[in-house]
Amino acid sequence: MELGRRPGDQRDGWSRRVLALAVTTTIAFAGLLGQLWYLQALEGGRLQEMSEKNRIRIRPVAAPRGILFDRNGLPLVDNRPAFTLSFIPREMEDRDTVLARVSVLLKIPLPELREPLDRVPPDSFRPVRVRRGLSLEDVTKVEERKLELPGVIVEVEPERVYPTSTFAAHLLGYVREVSEEQLRQGRYRRGDMVGQTGLERLLDDYLRGKEGGERIEVDALGRQVKVVKREEPNPGAQVITTIDRRIQEAAERAMAGHAGAVVVMDPRNGDVLAMTSSPAFALDQLTGNLSRDDWRRLVNDSMTPLMNRALQSQYAPGSVFKVVVAAAGLQEGSLTPMDHVNCTGEFHLGAWTFKDWKEGGHGRVDLRSAIVHSCNVFFYQAGLKVGPEAIVRYARAFGLGAPTGTGLGSEKAGMIPFVDLKRRRGRRVWQAGNTVNISIGQGPVLVTPMQVARMMSAVANGGILWKPRLVERVEEPDGTLAYSTASKMSGHVDLSPIVWAFLRSALVGVVNDGGTGAAARLPGVLIAGKTGTAQSISKSDSARGQDHAWFASFAPAEDPQVVVVVLVERGGKGGQVAAPIARQIYQAIFMEKVAMVSLGGES
Amino acid sequence: MLRVDRRLLQNVDWALLATALFITALSVLSMWNLGHARGGAALAWRQLSWVAIGLVALLVVASVDYRSLVRIAPALYAVGVALLLVVFVLGRTVSGARRWIHLGPITIQPSELFKLIFVLILAWALASRPGEPLSRGAMIGLLALLGVPFLLVVRQPDLGTALVLIPVTVAVLVGVGVRLRVLGALALAGLAALPLGWFALKPYQRDRVLVYLDPFRDPLGTAYNVIQAKIAIGSGQLLGKGVNGATQSRLAFLPERHTDFIFAVFAEMWGFVGCLVLIVAYGLLVLRGFDIAASTRDPRGRVLALGVTAVFAAQTLINMGMVTGLLPVVGIPLPLMSYGGSSMVASLMGLGLLLSIRMRQFR
Repeated sequence: MELGRRPGDQRDGWSRRVLALAVTTTIAFAGLLGQLWYLQALEGGRLQEMSEKNRIRIRPVAAPRGILFDRNGLPLVDNRPAFTLSFIPREMEDRDTVLARVSVLLKIPLPELREPLDRVPPDSFRPVRVRRGLSLEDVTKVEERKLELPGVIVEVEPERVYPTSTFAAHLLGYVREVSEEQLRQGRYRRGDMVGQTGLERLLDDYLRGKEGGERIEVDALGRQVKVVKREEPNPGAQVITTIDRRIQEAAERAMAGHAGAVVVMDPRNGDVLAMTSSPAFALDQLTGNLSRDDWRRLVNDSMTPLMNRALQSQYAPGSVFKVVVAAAGLQEGSLTPMDHVNCTGEFHLGAWTFKDWKEGGHGRVDLRSAIVHSCNVFFYQAGLKVGPEAIVRYARAFGLGAPTGTGLGSEKAGMIPFVDLKRRRGRRVWQAGNTVNISIGQGPVLVTPMQVARMMSAVANGGILWKPRLVERVEEPDGTLAYSTASKMSGHVDLSPIVWAFLRSALVGVVNDGGTGAAARLPGVLIAGKTGTAQSISKSDSARGQDHAWFASFAPAEDPQVVVVVLVERGGKGGQVAAPIARQIYQAIFMEKVAMVSLGGES
Repeated sequence: MLRVDRRLLQNVDWALLATALFITALSVLSMWNLGHARGGAALAWRQLSWVAIGLVALLVVASVDYRSLVRIAPALYAVGVALLLVVFVLGRTVSGARRWIHLGPITIQPSELFKLIFVLILAWALASRPGEPLSRGAMIGLLALLGVPFLLVVRQPDLGTALVLIPVTVAVLVGVGVRLRVLGALALAGLAALPLGWFALKPYQRDRVLVYLDPFRDPLGTAYNVIQAKIAIGSGQLLGKGVNGATQSRLAFLPERHTDFIFAVFAEMWGFVGCLVLIVAYGLLVLRGFDIAASTRDPRGRVLALGVTAVFAAQTLINMGMVTGLLPVVGIPLPLMSYGGSSMVASLMGLGLLLSIRMRQFR
């Protein structure tokens, strides 16, 4: 090459520098030829032999997913080996024929087989998982006709098994093959099983483990001759949750047949002992081969079984909110235990009339009996005395209106209104009627059962607002600690000890002094609680009129160890519906105590 | 529309054109050989049509005065960056990467075309105002011109294309006479920025980088390609195994064999002798490009020719280096050889630029 040497040109700096670059490039090309000489001439013989023996295939070996345990070491889920039908695209010489054969053999519609294959390159050597949970009979069929089905294999993969199909469904969450959306994030490979909701999703990185691989030698027909090398998968880490399986089971039993949610929390540390939402979905159905129709049915179900009502549903708190109003009033000095009202069953404010739930009223009530009997008229007036700003301030202090921070997906924040006392265009933005409404937990106040459990824990423990803890620790299979959490405070409600004592005594009265929560009374355990009946915001006429029933409680009242919050959707009155459910749960929690009392006769 | 000057036709670089056609012919032949084993001749026909479209593009580019292209370079650059952004929004995802835009039946890969636009903007920035020394401000502006598309392409993620932009910038800066001290400082700054980038990556992205550095971390993925490619190349030995004997490629042990790893297929079929011929052809093409750059007097033509040549050389060397196991696998096509429309058309358009500069050298 004649670089830049043209008649009349002087060899200026430019040409020299370009020449230098050209020389550099040429040297690089020469280096490349050197490497080719090394590979093809010097190493050629050896590599030629390798290519002739190149019958090494690589198969991924799925890692068993980590197990979730309850706080006492009882498993909440387990794994079992399951058979998966997979295709190796690159080994399928005559794809259409093979697919047709498989379709007839296993009675799987052809499009269902073709669809997953179309999403990967035709020369992919990674098995494409087509159908999970093959029966033993199907496996035999495939194995018998192996020769006619090149590229069709049966893999053994660990699969989730559950104690019962709906046990702790919302809490645990389901595991399903990675979706297209998740694939796009680039963290997963096609065919990976990924936790989609609940703890399975929250802890997926820990639970998933790391896939292993197998190098196998195959003969000319693609049949396995021997395993050359096996890299064992790393099983997923084990998760020790704060759940108590016994309590969880009791809560689910108690809620059978109702729609709603139960949260059981330890007020001493914020540990969630049980969390259930009903109706629940069938975990094993969602983990397995769910047909598109079944999926659609599940998503469109008017009972919304996929929704975790403990966290994702918002309800008016009803009379449970009276605890907040009483706390605000007593602490701020605008209410005293001696205040009393003559309840006639009606309360008039301007042109408006607010009714009590009890026809004819409660007669003469003071603050304690207003809580015990859940008198609305007393609280209408109390709310006006305390004032909306103080009520809202204390509601927020009790953690209402903000997500509790469980880390589980799409937790709702609830709603505590913003009180704007200014006038806009001559009209008050915040009306006195609003204050009256929120005083009994209606109107623009919404809470989730988990928030109520946290609030009740604060009442039980004297003001500590815990961040609900679901996971105690995560352990690698070899026993080393991968992750652990201590209880975390997310706030503190500052009330004087006298106010706490008053509130607790009033709540004991609700259950034990013939109050609205009498149905929760359990001999042997002193239960304290508050009932609530929340007007439901219903879209259809048929559902209208049925109120949500609340019972928020803790026990034993003298030394609170558990908080139980029950919500029954459209159940009716809190005292009649929710309180007996809570009683059942307490019965299971304090089984020994209750048994001793009944052995010793009525106390 | 386009007045063709006879003097222009006299100065067509026929050697350059012939060498390029020779390589594209080898490409179509390789597609045919590959397709013959399975899937029929569709691969070869499609590649041939890309060559045809690319040649038309080459003619169009060659007949336009490259100086007017340099003049509108800022606009082209803006369009190019916009296209890279569009990829994020409308892009089609293939094996975890968003590099393509769907346009009816075809998909285009803007990052391929962007390499040429990048060279044009370099020529515009460095040579459209003659005689001006390279100031510090100009240097910073240049780095910004590189940085924006670089980050966009990295995020797609298309590390290969992004990595080509760097040697091209370096080559052009060396050409225009930036002092070695300044280049050294830039290199140090780049190295210093690396750890920062590392912390910005997500864990799984870090895993990928580690696999680039050490393929045996992931024996099921990248390492498999590298090992199989080495076996394919080596087993070709001196004279090759011919079309039917090339079991590595034919029996599909080699992944990506018609795109990024086409050189391994070629090496298995035609052996060291075949590779020698191919590499000499690429060498001739690249040296011809340097020759055009050196002999041009117009500063814009100089930078442009040098840049296009550098793009070509860098892609060829990185691809062959990765296929032969000298460099980590980053996913870069071999110009004029690998299957794919965007790459083929962009490569031929680049050659069209070189032809255009040569044709207008003596006027």
